[in-house]
Amino acid sequence: MLLAAITTVFLAAEKQWMMLDWKPKRPDMLIDPFGIGKIVQDGLVFRQNFSIRSYEIGADQTASIETVMNHLQETALNHVGSAGLLVDGFGSTPEMCKKNLIWVVTRMQVVVDRYPTWGNVVQVDTWVSASGKNCMRRDWLVRDSKTGEVLTRASSIWVMMNKVTRRLSKMPEEVRGEIEPYFMNSEPVIAEDSRKLVKLNGSSAEFVRKGLTPRWSDLDVNQHVNNVKYIGWILESAPLPILETHELSSMTLEYRRECGRDSVLQSLTAVSENGTDEIECQHLLRLEDGSEVMRGRTQWRPKNAKISGNVGQIPADTA
Amino acid sequence: MLKFSYCNATDLNQALVQCRFAGSFGPLSSRRRSPRAAVSFSRSNLTPIQAVLSCQQQVGSDPVESELGSLADRLRLGGLTEDGLSYKEKFIIRCYEVGINKTATIETIANLLQEVGGNHAQSVGFSRDGFATSPTMRKLHLIWVTARMHIEVYKYPAWSDVIEIETWCQNEGRIGTRRDWILKDVATGEVIGRATSKWVMMNEDTRRLQKVSDDVKEEYLVFCPREPRLAFPEENNKSLKKISKLEDPVQYSRLGLMPRRADLDMNQHVNNVTYIGWVLESMPEEIIDTHELQTITLDYRRECQRDDVVDSLTGPELVEGSKIHGTNGSATAITREDDLDCHQFLHLLRLSSDGQEINRGRTEWRKKPT
Repeated sequence: MLLAAITTVFLAAEKQWMMLDWKPKRPDMLIDPFGIGKIVQDGLVFRQNFSIRSYEIGADQTASIETVMNHLQETALNHVGSAGLLVDGFGSTPEMCKKNLIWVVTRMQVVVDRYPTWGNVVQVDTWVSASGKNCMRRDWLVRDSKTGEVLTRASSIWVMMNKVTRRLSKMPEEVRGEIEPYFMNSEPVIAEDSRKLVKLNGSSAEFVRKGLTPRWSDLDVNQHVNNVKYIGWILESAPLPILETHELSSMTLEYRRECGRDSVLQSLTAVSENGTDEIECQHLLRLEDGSEVMRGRTQWRPKNAKISGNVGQIPADTA
Repeated sequence: MLKFSYCNATDLNQALVQCRFAGSFGPLSSRRRSPRAAVSFSRSNLTPIQAVLSCQQQVGSDPVESELGSLADRLRLGGLTEDGLSYKEKFIIRCYEVGINKTATIETIANLLQEVGGNHAQSVGFSRDGFATSPTMRKLHLIWVTARMHIEVYKYPAWSDVIEIETWCQNEGRIGTRRDWILKDVATGEVIGRATSKWVMMNEDTRRLQKVSDDVKEEYLVFCPREPRLAFPEENNKSLKKISKLEDPVQYSRLGLMPRRADLDMNQHVNNVTYIGWVLESMPEEIIDTHELQTITLDYRRECQRDDVVDSLTGPELVEGSKIHGTNGSATAITREDDLDCHQFLHLLRLSSDGQEINRGRTEWRKKPT
């Protein structure tokens, strides 16, 4: 049932890649004057710097979670392109193309230790690994370029789908042969949050926001809503007192369905406190007819809380 | 969104003195410690390859910078021009800034104009809090408010294109200031767009417009070219055109628009650029599918708060002597008899609750290039 749900995919990833008329590499792109990014670490890790622009700062005076996610999306696309994994602008390798296979993202986990502020420069590293026998995992590590402090870690799971039949596919051996050389096969950058994401409904959700509609600027070239916008919608029904006093420290998302220009969505949120300063919320984004677009879980810590633990100080010159 | 930006210093030393209010992280101060960085990016005649090579020599392959702000400067790729009277910055278009046309959206363009304006203000030492106020303005509780924004785009950049935006400002009347921009495609050098905006000073406590004394003006005008320099020098250009108020009944509308969290800027106001998106929400889909926005002019009347609900209204602009051309039952006004590919519209954003006008606008559309 779960697989069937996933098969009605939201081709967010594919759509992003479809808009690429990939240009041949220019010599100046090998260096990184404009923050295009470059391959490091024997060709397995892609690194790109971003200067935080003023309009990426939200009401909290820091870069918004959408800004963070946008940077992740940009580096993923640039990695695929520059590493030669992108053959035809579809994100598919030659063997995948032959078999009509495309990648779709099913799951995303993000942990933010500190949000950057206006004028900060962040360094985003991204790489891919195998995930089980048939999936691929893409990880990101975001650091402050100046200090090396880890700001964000993120991990996503991708499966292959036949774009004609819309059915999920095992990874064919020919494809494995093509992409295995690009796998880092490192430990996941985030320990997987394997707790099931609950499905909310009208009675279990304390906060509901209805009538959410995509604007023109939410749409990609195929008139589907960009993945990152879903996160903004999830937060639309988060209760204001939490948004004002807490900041998003982590989230786990399951993508279920894509939506387009005429979709009308509802965002549902349920809050559970666990006795500490931290708050946890469950989320559901769905269409008016009840079909699920995305499930999520978010964790919030009080603003200006100090981050303890030893995740912070990886030097910037090691991946 | 009440950001504003100032002009360049005719006297750089004077600017540095005023930098003390901006703190030691001002790009101007770090540039003094790394003159090579300043030279490579304030010279506008370096080809991209030369700029890249000089950058590479400094950076090597190690991204960790010990100099405060210098990596940010390099990535920002912006700086005052040699005469100090304007500011130039390069931007690369990112994938998520591109819309349904495979090109940068008008919101992306407007965001970049705002960004370069803010960086300009920073570079001459004005405040980083989003208000870009001079020290005296802060003492007098004065802030800048946008009155009008006019953008023309001749060619939209695509993903990974690099554009260069030059900006400067000038005095306009007793209480106003104008900021102009020119956008160029770095690869070809061609001008791909122009923009101009008018700003007025408002007292942030009384929320009333305020005239200011000459010495308050001088404090920021010292960074502006004294010789008039206009992004739109031609007579009767569209940036000066009066916008009529759209009256009921209107042809197209999208009601009940609400600010999202992402629409709020660092000062909790609805960002100026959000209004552009709202104006376009009531555009008829048949135009959006076949045409691209060539010109947009917005007059800002009232600011919007987080809990406001807004209606977006659109109707064809009827020009004297124009023909009404009916297609599928809807009427659009054509500017010239021989030009069936251009369309003009009037827009109104108003509060759903009481109909108070938030802003009014005017757009021109041209057929998408094939």
